Amino acid sequence: MNNSNLEKMIPVFSAAFALVYIVSVELNWALFTYHPKIGQWGWLVEPSRDGPPMYWYGWLVTSTLGATAASVIAWPLLKNRPTQYWIGWIVPLLVIISVFYFFRDWFLR
Amino acid sequence: MSTFLVILHGLLAVALLGSITHQAVAVVWPARNKVGFVNAYRSVSSRVYVNANIAMFLVVAALGAYIYPIYRVWVRTYMENARLYPAVGSFEIKEQFIAIGLGLLPLYWLVWRRPEPAGQSARVAVTLILCFIVWFAFIVGHILNNIRGFFGL
Repeated sequence: MNNSNLEKMIPVFSAAFALVYIVSVELNWALFTYHPKIGQWGWLVEPSRDGPPMYWYGWLVTSTLGATAASVIAWPLLKNRPTQYWIGWIVPLLVIISVFYFFRDWFLR
Repeated sequence: MSTFLVILHGLLAVALLGSITHQAVAVVWPARNKVGFVNAYRSVSSRVYVNANIAMFLVVAALGAYIYPIYRVWVRTYMENARLYPAVGSFEIKEQFIAIGLGLLPLYWLVWRRPEPAGQSARVAVTLILCFIVWFAFIVGHILNNIRGFFGL
């Protein structure tokens, strides 16, 4: 796979990253949990051990792995087409807009 | 140490804010001459900002991720007890935007690396999205850092 081929996968990576990320947040698909008060890590989603658990790091790793997998899976569809730049920013833009909707409860209390 | 890191995080965020705003203005509203301050501001070469912006975004995000546990344990708990729910929600949104911004960085690098006309709209769009993310994150971070003063707590 040469550089040009890799470049065709980058827009798909950015789009998939945003999509997998927002799904991970909503369904809590964290690959690991951090317990900041006691400085401990745990695999997958864990309930609180002591103090609030943090899933953000786990969501980032889930999204990176998911986006990489999506890029590889999409590769046969991409290799004979020009680079689809648009998909790489339209999808994250829609996800950004959706974030306001998903977190609206904080502003309605 | 955490106070030093928060200040460093804020200072680097200021540098990133200035850099990406300058690039965004130059790409959306370019100028052909450098007569006067406004034209000089608009006429810079947008491409030269790319690597610096990527590096600063990564460093600021990494610093933020490092000091995030302090916020989660102490600051957020304090704000929830003070019923400052919109402030907590703003930080939640900031957190998601930074993550989406991290996923956009490879595309940002790609669209600026290749001067193809096909990528022009993507170049403008990605730059503006990242600029929005940086501004949003900066304003939210600044307000939360000064939350007790803002709300007289």
